[in-house]
Amino acid sequence: MLEIENLQAGYDRLQVLWDVSMHIREGEFVALIGANGAGKTTTLRAIAGLLTPQGGCVRFLGENITGYPAHRICQAGISFITEELNLFQAMSVEENLLLGAYLCRNQNLIKTNLDKVFSFFPILAERRKQLAGTLSGGERRMLALGRGLMSNPRLLVVDEPSLGLAPIIVLTVFKTLQELHAQGVTLLLVEQNVTNTLQITDRAYLLERGKITLAASSKELLENEYLKETYLGKR
Amino acid sequence: MDLAIIQDLLMTGFLRGGLYASMAVGLALVFGVMNICHFAHGEYYVLGAYCAYFAFVTLGLNPILSLLVASVLSFLAGAISEKLLFYPLRKRSKGEWIMNAFLLTAGLSVVLQNLFRVFFGMKYRGITQFWKTTFHVLGMSLPADRIIAFFIAMVAIAALWLFLKKTRIGRAIRAVSQDENGAKLVGINLDRIQTLTFALGSMLAGLGGASMLSLSPAYPYAGNKPLISSWFVVTIVGLGNVPGAIVGGFIVGIFESVSFFFLGSGWQDVASLTLLILLLLFKPTGLFGTQIKSVWE
Amino acid sequence: MQTIISSLNKIGKILQRAIGSLNTIGFSTPFIVFIILIACAPLYIKNQYMLRLLVVSLYYGILAMAFDFTGGFINAVNFGYAGFVGLGSYTSALLVVYTGINPWLGLIIAMGVTASVGFLTGLLTLPLRGIYVSLMSWFVGLTLMALASALVEVTRGARGLVVSPIDESATILTHLYILLTLMMVIYFILRLIINSHIGLAFKAIGQNYDAACASGVNPTKYKLFNFTLSCACAGLLGGYYAHFVGIVTPDVMDTGHTMEVMALSYIGGSGSLLGGVFAAFLLLPIFDSLKQLMEYRLIIYGMLLILVMIFYPVGLNGLYQKFLQFIKRKKETKL
Repeated sequence: MLEIENLQAGYDRLQVLWDVSMHIREGEFVALIGANGAGKTTTLRAIAGLLTPQGGCVRFLGENITGYPAHRICQAGISFITEELNLFQAMSVEENLLLGAYLCRNQNLIKTNLDKVFSFFPILAERRKQLAGTLSGGERRMLALGRGLMSNPRLLVVDEPSLGLAPIIVLTVFKTLQELHAQGVTLLLVEQNVTNTLQITDRAYLLERGKITLAASSKELLENEYLKETYLGKR
Repeated sequence: MDLAIIQDLLMTGFLRGGLYASMAVGLALVFGVMNICHFAHGEYYVLGAYCAYFAFVTLGLNPILSLLVASVLSFLAGAISEKLLFYPLRKRSKGEWIMNAFLLTAGLSVVLQNLFRVFFGMKYRGITQFWKTTFHVLGMSLPADRIIAFFIAMVAIAALWLFLKKTRIGRAIRAVSQDENGAKLVGINLDRIQTLTFALGSMLAGLGGASMLSLSPAYPYAGNKPLISSWFVVTIVGLGNVPGAIVGGFIVGIFESVSFFFLGSGWQDVASLTLLILLLLFKPTGLFGTQIKSVWE
Repeated sequence: MQTIISSLNKIGKILQRAIGSLNTIGFSTPFIVFIILIACAPLYIKNQYMLRLLVVSLYYGILAMAFDFTGGFINAVNFGYAGFVGLGSYTSALLVVYTGINPWLGLIIAMGVTASVGFLTGLLTLPLRGIYVSLMSWFVGLTLMALASALVEVTRGARGLVVSPIDESATILTHLYILLTLMMVIYFILRLIINSHIGLAFKAIGQNYDAACASGVNPTKYKLFNFTLSCACAGLLGGYYAHFVGIVTPDVMDTGHTMEVMALSYIGGSGSLLGGVFAAFLLLPIFDSLKQLMEYRLIIYGMLLILVMIFYPVGLNGLYQKFLQFIKRKKETKL
């Protein structure tokens, strides 16, 4: 459903990604792993349209979406949950969620989606009138996920959901992602927490210095010697 | 001192404050959403005044219709200038957007002022009144135009509030002011929202100029005074703070009418500017400055 | 014959060396040619009016240069610049009118007064950043203008204050040479500062305030110094211009005049110092020669400013640099 071919991207004259190619099939849960500064976030930003690629091609559901502005990509069905969440701090939880469904004009559908999100994250229902800026770290991440789900995305792209969260909350977030996957949402996950990630995903790509160096199923990667040595910290 | 004088001063200040509030709300909106320090805001005020004049006097339309024409035209003028100037600047400017956009509005202000002068000359175009009645408020008789201009400003602000709070597009405008990337990611077309915001701000100014036509006639430089006063307002309450701009509008209106009474026109400017400098010095973020960026929450 | 040629050669070499050393202090060859052209202007321009135009262009050019010293380097646009120019005009004019001192002394005092007010404005803007600095200086400029209009008993308000000329025997040529010298001196000083470590600190503050602070640059000192010097120039020129024109009204402090100077400095190229001077000499004569355009003068200014801001932020200076690169490349390909 998502195909990326020879993606080149960067900031001004600094190129970060070199010939990144990857694909995601419908219903898959794919991870993009790698060290800090390897270019994971840059890849996601290029997919989501926050960054215009310098070369290569991104196709989604057969449509060439390379270089589309972010709002068109959202319209095409990709929801991107950034590392910094980009919540609307001064608005209530409910308004944030409603904005997640900005492109949808069907009030009934919005209502259904809202109920779905609330059943997924009951805490958000409790705090629906509270301002997003006053939520705790875990709640904010759930709100961001919920907002991303409000548009009924075909593909959910999540960047570092465990960042800055207490270990117990990290587990909840991972469980939530697993549940979402079980419900049929296609997911692309970027994580530094490699072991946990590989345990819940189907396949994974390893990104190193802006290049894809490994691509295999998560099970295989868990056994991969190189990965064990450098990323999993086992010997 | 006479009680009647105090009452009169407060009333004049309050009615003036209504205009400043609606002008300042436009300024605050444009800054809050687009990060533009709008220096040409006064020119849209003048544009509104000219439109209302020609609609009312030349075309002989009724007052309501004239005001409507003025606001629609200033809305359009705002939209066109955004698309023509700020849109290309946004696409090209990397850092430094705030400063560049500010200089651009300064250039725009000069261009518009002098275009008015070339087209309409230095002639003052005013009317005696839109409505031929006087109202009696608290024992004072006031021309209907004053009261109605005030109510128009209030209605415009209330309508804006409803629009921002209750509609999907309004919510999108607030979203852009709080987090541009977040707004893009939920599918909001930033370019459209920005054009709309600028147009709305210009419309508020244009409507202000139109409704005040009988009190201050249209001429090329008529926008300077309201511009400075509404900048006064947004600076004291903090740039980009819309509800603060309403309160600030009344504070400045009353302050100006009181200081005018005691100091006369020349020294009143000195007094308000000195006050402003002191305020900026001790509270750079404005009276109601907050940490979280938003236009109206 | 031989001796003539050899002596010519010698002269050529001396000239070359002179130009070379002038180049090192910032007087590039085109600038030297420009100075010589203006200095010799009386030889080929006999028309009083045209000479006066040169003086006015010089005046605006120097102002744009001093404006750029703040706007183009520490990235703080002094939006009340006309206010400071007017302060210089009024200080010198009032002193001469009321105390009858020598106008030259009046000029020096005007420079000092404006510099101190500039220093104070710098102090006021210290806690502020970016756009707030512009706002604050704008308000200071407006206050100065409001004061000039309000103090009717002293300044005669809008009726204007009649000022005696700088020197009874001064002709238009005197003014031309004085302003030309002023331009060279001011340019020399500003450029000396820009090329020293102080200039480096200016640029650091202008580009990234926080990073500059973090790397040990004390912005307070530099900001104040910059503001003071730039305003001192404004005061000096304002004072001079008052004596040159012979009348001062509060209108000289109008924001529109700041706009003119600002437009020249940005059209010339922000951060180039000389760009503004060339822009003034390019635009003012054009506006003047097309008399029917006078009406549209400010419109063209505004539009040029807008176009430069949007499409060519490097201005005339950028064009010149491109030209230099082009020549260099041509030379390289020849070699």
